[in-house]
Amino acid sequence: MMRANAEAQNRTIDPVAFHLTGRRTDDGSDAVEGLQPALLAPYRELTSLRYDFPVVLSEEGIHSLTGIVNDMLQKVAPPGPTSEQLRKMILRLEREIRRLLAEGVRGTLSELWDRAADRLASTNGAEFAQTVRIGRAAIEVDGPCIDCDGTAAASIVGHVWQGVQNEKMRSFRAIVSRLALKLEDILRAEFIRSPAGRSAGSLQASVGAPHHALFDFSAMAGLLPPALAADALPEARRRRIEWALWVLKRQRFFPVAVGHGRTGDIAEPYSFRFENCAEAVGAFRARLADMVELVKAMATAELEITGRYVDERHDPYFDRFDASSLSAKDMGLFPDYLVVTVGSSAADNAGLLDALAAGLPLKIAVVADDVVEHGAAENGRFTFGLRGTQLAGMATGLGEAFVLQSTSSNLYQMRDRLHAGLAFQGPALFSIFTGSPAPQAQSRYLTSAAAMQSRAFPAFTYDPSAGDDLASRFSLENNPAVEADWTVDTLDYADENLQRTSEKIAFTFVDFLVADPRFARHFVSVPRTAWTDKMVPVADCLAHGAAASTDRVPYVWASDAVGRLERLVCDDKAIAAARRCLEAWHRLQESGGVHNSHADRLLAREKAAWDDQRRRDESLKVEVASAAPIASPAAAPAPAAAAEAKEEARSPDEPYIESGRCSSCNECIQLNGKMFAYNENKQAYIADADAGTFRQLVEAAENCQIGIIHPGKPRNKSEPDLDELMKRAAVFA
Amino acid sequence: MTLEATDCLVKLYEEHHNLEDYQGGVPRWCTGCGDSGILTAVQRLCRDNDLAPERTVFVSGIGCSSRLPHYMKTYGFHGIHGRALPVAEGIKLARPDLDVFVSTGDGDCCSIGAAHWIHAIRYNMNMVVMLHDNHVYGLTKKQASPTSPLGFKSNTTPRGSTLLPLNPLTVTLGVQNVSFVAQAVDWIPELLYEILAAAYKHKGLSFVRILQRCPQYLPKMFDPWLQDPQKSLILTHDRGVRPSAGLAKIYRNQQEHDPSDINRAREIASLEDPIPVGILYQNPDVPRYEELRNAGQLRTADYIKAGLEAEFDKFTIWPDGHDAPAA
Repeated sequence: MMRANAEAQNRTIDPVAFHLTGRRTDDGSDAVEGLQPALLAPYRELTSLRYDFPVVLSEEGIHSLTGIVNDMLQKVAPPGPTSEQLRKMILRLEREIRRLLAEGVRGTLSELWDRAADRLASTNGAEFAQTVRIGRAAIEVDGPCIDCDGTAAASIVGHVWQGVQNEKMRSFRAIVSRLALKLEDILRAEFIRSPAGRSAGSLQASVGAPHHALFDFSAMAGLLPPALAADALPEARRRRIEWALWVLKRQRFFPVAVGHGRTGDIAEPYSFRFENCAEAVGAFRARLADMVELVKAMATAELEITGRYVDERHDPYFDRFDASSLSAKDMGLFPDYLVVTVGSSAADNAGLLDALAAGLPLKIAVVADDVVEHGAAENGRFTFGLRGTQLAGMATGLGEAFVLQSTSSNLYQMRDRLHAGLAFQGPALFSIFTGSPAPQAQSRYLTSAAAMQSRAFPAFTYDPSAGDDLASRFSLENNPAVEADWTVDTLDYADENLQRTSEKIAFTFVDFLVADPRFARHFVSVPRTAWTDKMVPVADCLAHGAAASTDRVPYVWASDAVGRLERLVCDDKAIAAARRCLEAWHRLQESGGVHNSHADRLLAREKAAWDDQRRRDESLKVEVASAAPIASPAAAPAPAAAAEAKEEARSPDEPYIESGRCSSCNECIQLNGKMFAYNENKQAYIADADAGTFRQLVEAAENCQIGIIHPGKPRNKSEPDLDELMKRAAVFA
Repeated sequence: MTLEATDCLVKLYEEHHNLEDYQGGVPRWCTGCGDSGILTAVQRLCRDNDLAPERTVFVSGIGCSSRLPHYMKTYGFHGIHGRALPVAEGIKLARPDLDVFVSTGDGDCCSIGAAHWIHAIRYNMNMVVMLHDNHVYGLTKKQASPTSPLGFKSNTTPRGSTLLPLNPLTVTLGVQNVSFVAQAVDWIPELLYEILAAAYKHKGLSFVRILQRCPQYLPKMFDPWLQDPQKSLILTHDRGVRPSAGLAKIYRNQQEHDPSDINRAREIASLEDPIPVGILYQNPDVPRYEELRNAGQLRTADYIKAGLEAEFDKFTIWPDGHDAPAA
């Protein structure tokens, strides 16, 4: 409803002057505070709405509470009149869980479920308690329940990272255990063949103690043939295998499996979570020698267990094995170093780009709670996005690092991309905006969602593993209305006559600023009486030129705590900031293939050329139609005769075999192994036609069941019975 | 190899073999025997795919065809009658990293080994099974086999066989989990090689029936097909095999057949004249037994010991006052 504030109407506010100068012409005592963009007014009470948050971080992944409850309702309360009561109760419980989280209560889903149930049971009776029990039994996932607060991004990234590391751990353990087992097999087989392995004591140890008396192990040992020195492992090989085994067993990169406890002097596994890049890079460097040794041991083991290790070939290679011998794929087997920095300054991130550029296995999450640089704003100039969007943009420029930018409100939607980034083989940067802490007028979820909606903090991913070109690598998915400058939504409100009115309004960067009290002085509320035709929505103002004009005064719709609408005029600084924001969005759009300027130019050029050609064709048609008919154009040259496949030039007098069809049946070879021979595919050909008689050629042709031998003409004219043989050979010509 | 460092070293010193490197001894097969053509095709396959002799196993049962492992310079297992497939399955279970080939004859596979055959198809373990089908027991000097033609006079059927021959293709295509069925003939070596190459690449049990000549006991059996190329129906497809241009001129009777169409494959398999040559059916998505059974548990000495102890404990009589340990 429109705010009818008599006091405000009495003021003398000149919107044009405010817009151009940023100064109020009235006393200016009350800056515009406590307002929020009118489009966000319906979302003021988030706890009563069903949306992506809270999320549950279970071992299987990330689940939205709404999704979990929906799945559960499908099972226990399928749509229908009988289960309506049950549905209502469960939905009431879901709402209560949201309230608990908003009050700051933390815990797993099951804990919160029980707590919410206890709270509601007191007022809803026993039936409610039973219903809730049914519901809880049908929930299959559990884990910490996370609301979209300041720690949500770090928790979600940490959770997905841990899932990826667990997966790596499983595969690494499988590889290392297999290698260790096979190496032990080699040593065990060696022992069994050795004199010690064939001794009476060793034989006795292989039989259960209760049966020792039944056997004469000395006699049995005597029956065994003596161990041969040739069967023994060469000393160098034994040492190499023992060394590899030792390295494999004392590795610290992954914890050993349960039941294979570390023994003695083996140190605890390394930790891979860090709070800043310098520490992570330092740890990586410190552990590099261990990693090189482990990869060397694994490579040696792989060659040993397949019997491929040749001392003279491989010793020199492994002697010089160092960090430069590690490939990205081999490093991918090891854990990634997770760095989560929250609210860090630009100085903290100084080494970040260097670390990313170096290709180290770092996964860096930079969590920002401000997209608009506060200090600079105080000085009267916006340099928004310095911490967030610029960092991600620079990291994208590195080319080889995975980059994901998103607001925390959008993380659930981008969970697959997040997983792809954390599983990416190489460095990755996750730049996440979590929404500003108090004194924002709205919740962090709403602020971060508004940042994405207003293009202040758009979502994008850059995945170098997705392909070779930008089109494959860069994605703007999840952003609303990717093709448009701003998102446009319908604002429904009641006007001063209490009539329902709808208006399409764009949600711009200026709307985003409305909710931030730090920028209140850039806005002034204009009472209904002071509205003029020159007042235009911010989006329309931005669509015109860059220079501020007295002809257009930009405004946004805002609403106060009780939902009253106000029209706020903003100063030119806010408009300038919005323009920069829009330009940044346009750059992202271009990267994402939307309104790409190069493509647009090319398209315009081709279209002009096409139009030009069409005009020429039409004018030609007109000319032809007006001219007298002339002789028909010369007939097209006769199509060239189809080129016939030319048979290989071969004299009909020469004997030959269709070798490709030979079935290696040995018939001809048996007849004359010099005249007929096999080629590299073991198929017959005539090796020497003079190494036998024409009779043999003819008989071979007759014996060949497939009939692929062609005897040709006799080479020795004095051979007996040539006439008869020629007749028999004619069949195979 | 899981490491790039090892891959690189292996490639650097990769050994290439010639056809002769796979030849182990002089075959004792009769001159003109179709087994020689199959042996050549297999040796070409090994050479062209650089199969390491020490990582390749040929398994067979009993019969002329089952002598094949003797002539391959790889690992081999000349098993007992009808039991080539169980032996091959055991090898594959214990050593899934080895390439396993099975040579079995029409008597060995379709008679005494029929039960193993059916279940091997169902288990779908990754191996190439070559059914050398010459329609006769040759090693034991001419007895009727399950695929012998009706009326075939032999030492066991002096008045002519009375039963219609069994069709190994339709039987195989009727078994659950079938994943690859093809038919080749020894007298078209190009297609024999191509089909065996496709069978080798297929992940699962590749069943290739190879019609082969027996010059000693059924010398005229395949003459009509040898003399008239029109009596062979060549099945072609992008996902199957295609004859070369030269061969296509001789074998003009061709038909496009999609190997994923099992119903059409069953129709084609029933043809007696012309005989189909090519890949009848292929489904790469059928699960393989060795993978289904792989629980990811390494069979370490401790693990095996624990398993055995648990089994023995079931039969142990514990002294009074002692309880069996918890499972």
